[in-house]
Amino acid sequence: MNKEFFINEETPHESGIKHVSGQAYYTDDIPELPGTLYGAIGWSKRAHAIIKKINLEEVEKSEGVISVITSKDIPGRNDVGPVYDGDPIFPQKAEYFGQPLFAVAATSTELARKAVLKAKISYKSLKVINNIQEALKKKSFVLKENKIKNGEPIKKINEAPYKLKGNFTTGSQEHFALEGHVAFTIPQEDNDYKVYSSTQHPSETQQIIAKMLKQKSNTITVEVRRIGGGFGGKETQSFIFAAICTLLSKKTKRPVKLRIDRDDEIIITGKRHDFYSEYEVGFDELGVIQGLNIKLASKCGISPDLSGAINQRALLHLDNAYYIENLLVENYLCKTNTASNTAFRGFGGNQGMMVIENIIDNIARSLKKDPAEIRRRNFYQNYKKNITHYGMKIEDNVIHPIFDKLMKSTHYKGRRQEIKKFNSVNKYIKKGIAITPVKFGISFTTMHLNQAGALVHIYSNDGSCHINTGAIEMGQGTYTKIAQLAAAELGLPLNKIKVSATRTDKVPNTSASAASSTTDLNGAAMLDAIAKIKKNLFLFVKRKYKIKNGQAIYENGSVKFKGKTFKFNKLIKEAYLNRVSLSSSGFYSTPKIRFDPKKFYGRPFLYFCYGAAVSEVIIDTLTGENKILKVDILHDAGKAINPAIELGQIEGGFVQGAGWLTMEEVKWKNNGMILTHSPSTYKIPAVNDMPENFNVEIFKEGKNKENVVNKSKTTGEPPLMNAMSVFFAIKDAISSVGNYDIQPIIDAPATPEKILMSINNLKTKL
Amino acid sequence: MPSNKIRFIHSEKVIEIYNPDPNETLLNFVRTKLKKTGTKEGCSEGGCGACTVVLGELKDNDINYIAVNSCITFLPTLDGKQLLLVEDLVSKDNSLHPVQEAMVKCHGSQCGFCTPGFVMSLFSMFKNYTQFKEDIIKDSIAGNLCRCTGYKPIIKAAKSLGTKNKIDHFVKNKKKTVALLKKIGNQSIAIYKKGKRYFAPRYVSELKKILKKNANSKLLSGGTDLSLIVTKDRKDIESIVYMNSIKELNYIKNNNKYIEVGATTSLRNFETYIKKYYPDFNKILKRYGSIQIRNVATIAGNIATASPIGDNLPLLLALDSQIVLQGVKKSKILPINDFFINYRKTKLKEGQFIHSIRIPIFDKNIFKAYKISKRFDDDISSVCAAFNLIIENKKIKKIKIAYGGMAAIPKRAIYCERVLLNSSITKNVIDKAKNALEKDFLPISDMRASSKYRKIIAKNLLEKCFLEISEKKSVGIYN
Repeated sequence: MNKEFFINEETPHESGIKHVSGQAYYTDDIPELPGTLYGAIGWSKRAHAIIKKINLEEVEKSEGVISVITSKDIPGRNDVGPVYDGDPIFPQKAEYFGQPLFAVAATSTELARKAVLKAKISYKSLKVINNIQEALKKKSFVLKENKIKNGEPIKKINEAPYKLKGNFTTGSQEHFALEGHVAFTIPQEDNDYKVYSSTQHPSETQQIIAKMLKQKSNTITVEVRRIGGGFGGKETQSFIFAAICTLLSKKTKRPVKLRIDRDDEIIITGKRHDFYSEYEVGFDELGVIQGLNIKLASKCGISPDLSGAINQRALLHLDNAYYIENLLVENYLCKTNTASNTAFRGFGGNQGMMVIENIIDNIARSLKKDPAEIRRRNFYQNYKKNITHYGMKIEDNVIHPIFDKLMKSTHYKGRRQEIKKFNSVNKYIKKGIAITPVKFGISFTTMHLNQAGALVHIYSNDGSCHINTGAIEMGQGTYTKIAQLAAAELGLPLNKIKVSATRTDKVPNTSASAASSTTDLNGAAMLDAIAKIKKNLFLFVKRKYKIKNGQAIYENGSVKFKGKTFKFNKLIKEAYLNRVSLSSSGFYSTPKIRFDPKKFYGRPFLYFCYGAAVSEVIIDTLTGENKILKVDILHDAGKAINPAIELGQIEGGFVQGAGWLTMEEVKWKNNGMILTHSPSTYKIPAVNDMPENFNVEIFKEGKNKENVVNKSKTTGEPPLMNAMSVFFAIKDAISSVGNYDIQPIIDAPATPEKILMSINNLKTKL
Repeated sequence: MPSNKIRFIHSEKVIEIYNPDPNETLLNFVRTKLKKTGTKEGCSEGGCGACTVVLGELKDNDINYIAVNSCITFLPTLDGKQLLLVEDLVSKDNSLHPVQEAMVKCHGSQCGFCTPGFVMSLFSMFKNYTQFKEDIIKDSIAGNLCRCTGYKPIIKAAKSLGTKNKIDHFVKNKKKTVALLKKIGNQSIAIYKKGKRYFAPRYVSELKKILKKNANSKLLSGGTDLSLIVTKDRKDIESIVYMNSIKELNYIKNNNKYIEVGATTSLRNFETYIKKYYPDFNKILKRYGSIQIRNVATIAGNIATASPIGDNLPLLLALDSQIVLQGVKKSKILPINDFFINYRKTKLKEGQFIHSIRIPIFDKNIFKAYKISKRFDDDISSVCAAFNLIIENKKIKKIKIAYGGMAAIPKRAIYCERVLLNSSITKNVIDKAKNALEKDFLPISDMRASSKYRKIIAKNLLEKCFLEISEKKSVGIYN
């Protein structure tokens, strides 16, 4: 059992056995205390209205109802906005259809859900702004616009031999974590509260509840053992439910559980930002971009929430893997009467990348070239053309080897010819192929979030190790990976390591498990804690056994000092008897990064993740139906801690991204009412949507240049963007209808309807 | 005398419940009364599979294991069955079931929340098949959504089951379970609780008596639509008559002229039977819904709910099917074309029930059906189309065309049919027929499709139908 045994090992998920046997506790599964009550939320039936009167008499009288709360019951801050205000718990004025207005606690969830329907609310309707275009027209924004400029974009566009103009939209996406939002609050003595919440961000949950109750943070403890999927949807959107649940608990002085019905969840919470862009690009005969001017607007919903950071990340990824020296971007953050859009895997980065990928695709088609060629030609280079539009020098670029290797291994060029042949003899059924690159920056772009804490105990009687960090286990396997890192560091078998529930009273001031950096940050903090314990042990052994300096080697359950070897357990016991601390906190803050958002300049990222994917699709030009035939992905995971877990992230991220770009479509009525609020109307990929032929490989040469745990690279968000290849393969197939002569116009998601309309539109130009 | 006590088998024991709430879901019962929390709530409408449990039903001397969505199953319908939960798959010695083991080994779980549902769907597959080919695997888990994995490791786990020992602890206990099932599955149920009523008659004669006294009852025959009144509208259903205990109505017969399908025949059984006669009917049914849905949903249920997007209905319309309606005293045979009156309104009167459906067997006809939806699996049609025709000497001799998703009811395309009848198949005729569809239908725009798109694909499906006839092969992407 050497270090390599634990790291790079395909250990199953630490909860795998519990998952498959129903023994893993999610928040709704925690054994309830006697007297537990159950909550439900009543919400606005208008998208924008003054609330004239809320009559809750019938609600109060409804069977099983114990208590009803409104904004009047909030002693402190009536807002759950994480950075800015704007997300009231119970507002005075309804700003979107589905905005919570009151809540009840009843003796069962069913009775609570029935009761809230009995409210009589009178509204005075106001004008609804429902989409980006309207918001732009009325200058309805949640934050000030951003403008970034690099080089001489307008001049370069004007001078360029070729120009293109156009616009492009990417759609919203509902997170649809299989576990919906849920919280469970248990009152403690001193008006303290213990809150179990399905959240990616326990520390902020704690702060928000403390502020709402006008209590100190030390009176609120938030605990999360695991969540049933997050994807960004529980980074801030969980706060309102934990807050309301705790408020109900305060009012009733009883434990309260608030489990949100799927429809209510989709109606109440924010989703991925839709983005609309207008662009003008100048390029040369080789397709190399000379200058680019983009207007980029996002649909933020009613409040800033995380929209500032999300739009910033979009701006930071407008380049994807391409060197764009001359760039002008105006970025608008549109306020609409819809739920406040929020974090979603990719966090604006993917929306930014789709903008440039669509532009490059259009450049290639206008020059009648293979888009792969044009993509490659615009890549960042290693020794020149390696400074981003925000001034960061790219030092770890591996897009060339990944792209070239994948082109070759998938026989991209040959297949492209075969597909053209297929299309020339098939009138109704068409195929398309595309390869797209991914370059994604890792670190929170909000600098102070790049820190993490950990708490490690080693117990004296058996040498078992207990770990807490700020990491949330949401399926990404961070507990497994942290345990593997700890096992390797201590030379212990995995069964002696326990990573346990994340709690604000064990590790404080944590950042959200987000930005793909959870294991990078928390793993490193955990290693820092172990290093401190090891230091204590070293000093003790040195003192007691007169050992000179040198390294202690922890492996196979023993600890080797210069000239003396201990069994791990024995050393621990002995250290304890000699009054040596076997517990430590640990801390990590990401080095090297600095970024000035005002100047839009600096090094916001510690490193970049890279990947590429080739997708082949087939479409039916009579119906717009489409199917992914074959996908090959080559993705950089650095030196992976657990290749099986990374593969799972890469595959799952891809399918989620393909859903975003093909079938997942959030629709609203003009009056602001959301229409797609259940799995019967909102379709996430099911098993037959997985590519028929799906090959994923980790880039074997991968190794993080930076000092990240195990020299690994995260696989949280970046793999999602490999799905861009699906969209452009569909576009390629559409293009074949006009014999590749006419630019196809299609927005994302490429639903059957959009595909058919795009084909019919193209046919009119034939 | 009917009993007010339901009995089912769980953990090798008979569990008896007196006067259960007729509107309580099985999921709620499992989680809050049995206190088994492995089964999860994902959507409360049978759309995600997180709540999947397996029911053991006695079939001859064997047990049929079917996966169902517990979130839309009413507790009293459990009477006479065996309930298997994800926790029950673990042996007494704490060893995992082969299905569970495979899922762990193949990294089939990430966040783990959908996992119990997948395990149960795969368990049902494990019990019902001997070979686990890709299409069987995909059909078995198409009703389970996973947002983390992208499904690949789950498919891998399923494939690996082929080499596993099929003798699990359920096989070892089978004799005992069969004996218990025989003991419990033989009573009629009548429950009166807090103003709510529930009846589960075992014979048509009994059913008639119940309907005479409780004419305003909701007939429950699958309930994949009906149950949403409780789980989504959060209303009570006052009186439920559960049809599926009536064995007399669960049959498929054939007199060479028509196939007669008893009202409570599950879609799953029907789809297997119909394949030989109308392969396209089978194809559409497989996409009607997930296996969990098709295991319990019935053809009569689909007809009675009269949804404009019910996928059976345009097919039955094009096939000129007949509905056998049974009243307390009289029975009546009605062409399905006369059955639908308006949005979700039919000629079924209070006190009446659908006894069976007769589907003519057309030996010489061409029958084609298409379903267009955003997602292949378990999605509701944007448009569903069915074509039933005879071509003689290059002329269309008979034709019946029906569409779903194009009007408030599933409807025949009469104008279009008129253009085509007795015409030769030329481009001109097909274009005319396509245009006639504009006269037949004025579809709405909703979250699934715009009116414009519906019109276009309705026309294009007609074109596709004749294209496939002339090319003698299917033209599409799902071959």
